[in-house]
Amino acid sequence: MNVLEVRDFSIEYGLEEAAVHAVRHVDLDVVRSSVLGIAGESGSGKSTLVYGFTRLLRWPGVVAGGSAVLRVLEDDGTERDVDLLAATERELREIRWSQISIVLQSALSALNPVRRIAKEFDEVLRVHRSGLDRHARRARAVELLDMVGLDEDRLDRFPHELSGGQRQRIMIALALALDPQLVIMDEPTTALDVVTQREIVDQLFELRQRLGFAMIFITHDLSLLVELADEIVVMYAGEIVERASALELYSAPRHPYTLGLINSFPPMHGERRELVGLPGSPADLALLPTGCSFHPRCAWAMEVCKTASPKAQPVGDTGRLVACWLHDGIREVPVELRRSVPQRQPL
Amino acid sequence: MSESPILEARSLTRYFAVRAGGGGRRHKRLVRAVEDVSLSLRPSRVTAVVGESGSGKSVLARMLARIVTPTSGELMLGGEAVALGTKRPLEYARQVQLVLQDPFASMNPVHLVRHNLERALLIHGTRRDELPTRLEGAMSRVALTPPDGFLDRFPHELSGGQLQRVSIARALCVEPKVLLADEPVSMLDVSVRLGVLNLVRSLAVDERMATLYITHDIASARYIADETMVMYAGQVVERSNGVTLIDEPAHPYTQLLIASVPDPMDPTSVSARVAADEGARQGVADVGCRFAPRCPSVMEICRSQEPPAFAVAADHESKCWRHRDGNVAMAVSVAAHEGSPRA
Repeated sequence: MNVLEVRDFSIEYGLEEAAVHAVRHVDLDVVRSSVLGIAGESGSGKSTLVYGFTRLLRWPGVVAGGSAVLRVLEDDGTERDVDLLAATERELREIRWSQISIVLQSALSALNPVRRIAKEFDEVLRVHRSGLDRHARRARAVELLDMVGLDEDRLDRFPHELSGGQRQRIMIALALALDPQLVIMDEPTTALDVVTQREIVDQLFELRQRLGFAMIFITHDLSLLVELADEIVVMYAGEIVERASALELYSAPRHPYTLGLINSFPPMHGERRELVGLPGSPADLALLPTGCSFHPRCAWAMEVCKTASPKAQPVGDTGRLVACWLHDGIREVPVELRRSVPQRQPL
Repeated sequence: MSESPILEARSLTRYFAVRAGGGGRRHKRLVRAVEDVSLSLRPSRVTAVVGESGSGKSVLARMLARIVTPTSGELMLGGEAVALGTKRPLEYARQVQLVLQDPFASMNPVHLVRHNLERALLIHGTRRDELPTRLEGAMSRVALTPPDGFLDRFPHELSGGQLQRVSIARALCVEPKVLLADEPVSMLDVSVRLGVLNLVRSLAVDERMATLYITHDIASARYIADETMVMYAGQVVERSNGVTLIDEPAHPYTQLLIASVPDPMDPTSVSARVAADEGARQGVADVGCRFAPRCPSVMEICRSQEPPAFAVAADHESKCWRHRDGNVAMAVSVAAHEGSPRA
């Protein structure tokens, strides 16, 4: 069922005492053909986590512990497990792009500025699809562009001749070039205008329905994830603080940080009233507070929060995980954190 | 209307001449960055300008701050006409202060926060012995207390949210009457944005600051603005009070903008969306309505004649031919929901 399983994953920057713990004991499951959203602010470790298990992390970043397994579906329908952390460079080269591909935030810096777009497609197809001749590669590139709603004439352009939205579409088309089973989107729409973002998100959604790849979508925009993702994990200071289905997470958050994040977006409807959001500043990874990393900003912080770090535990019976002492029976859960989950909205 | 405006702009226009095209087909082209924009900033009121990148909203702010000289149009400060085309007097800069998007880029990184703030005061003629009290006053207005904890740090030692408060403090310390905030929260972390927005709002409400809030985030405009203007390709296409504009948008572009905002509470917005061809986006029409190439409810007249601003309700204007006969807001929204032409 799962295409990716990450267990107890930790990443540090630097060595020994000076190390900054950027990702701490993270578990992640991506179900085949589903969308997993990772929400978090800058410094929460969401990108570092992805670079860690895709082995793209550079020194001084080090994977300090844990495992990551990619379950590759072979053409004959059998599954093969690949231990991503143990894989050799050669094995990685086989997996990258053809099984896992990644779309980064800045499409301008991801494309070679002195090459025409066609060259980018041609190169990857030549290496990974050696059976195709020049004309077949060109035809495939045109087909891929068409998938993301661009005309063939874009192939002969240079990156600077295209708009930001067009460049990001090219990146998506490139990421899908080899029919990967898992596509990672690292803030793909953050630098784009809202109308362009909407078009690209709709397109991604439609492509996923059609092609059936699984997706990890990283963003700081929780409201975008709620529309897009099946399941969402919320990260704070390198840890997962809450994991739930998109609807549950947004309509009935259980972690105070999730609630604060949701309340930080001014609504588009209803009475205009003052919102409070979250006090304080995001946690500094080099100077993490003791106990729960979130306690200095938490309205319900208790004694135990200052001394002991809460473990992620199931809350309710829907597979939701929450790392917060408030759900440990020490006190009554605040009313804001026990809203009931609405029935699935008609779509 | 309430009080008389402090800063008033009449038909501000700015064209830029650029060289376009590559290779052998170079030619001069005129970019109409801002065209015929009028607005009034009044005490205690927040006016929001919403637009996507390239809509001209930042050029507008820079003209109001007199960093960019208008091609034509008038500016009135405190009821008196401002002589454009001359060097900006120091006093104008003191009364009209601009806060920019990226606080890290707008502070001198090799000097303490204290130095950055003192410079602004010294330039505007504050005596050295008054500096400490003025700095403390400004820092407490933006809720950075105790001030010394922040003043004696370097910009990189503060978080984005704190530094943006410092840059607002720097604008406030010379006691301006007008605050121009150009995307003040778009670079900040989600969880600290709201605090800065609340600060901008409270400066207007509690300290009578006339405020211009420029943003691409229409929800935040709804949250803090008394009046909202939507810009498209250098022109104001719709204006109304903040809530009305978003709850009852009249102009097709505003409707497209609102439908594009991720809104988890409204799943129907997904299907009612208008798709626009990316190619059409590049071309802004030279004649007729500038939005016509992307407009889902375009008519014959839109391609040949530019629409003026029509009143659709009290204090609500839309620059769209569909509103020629007054209240045709319904017609547009119906047209926008029927079929989406993927041109």
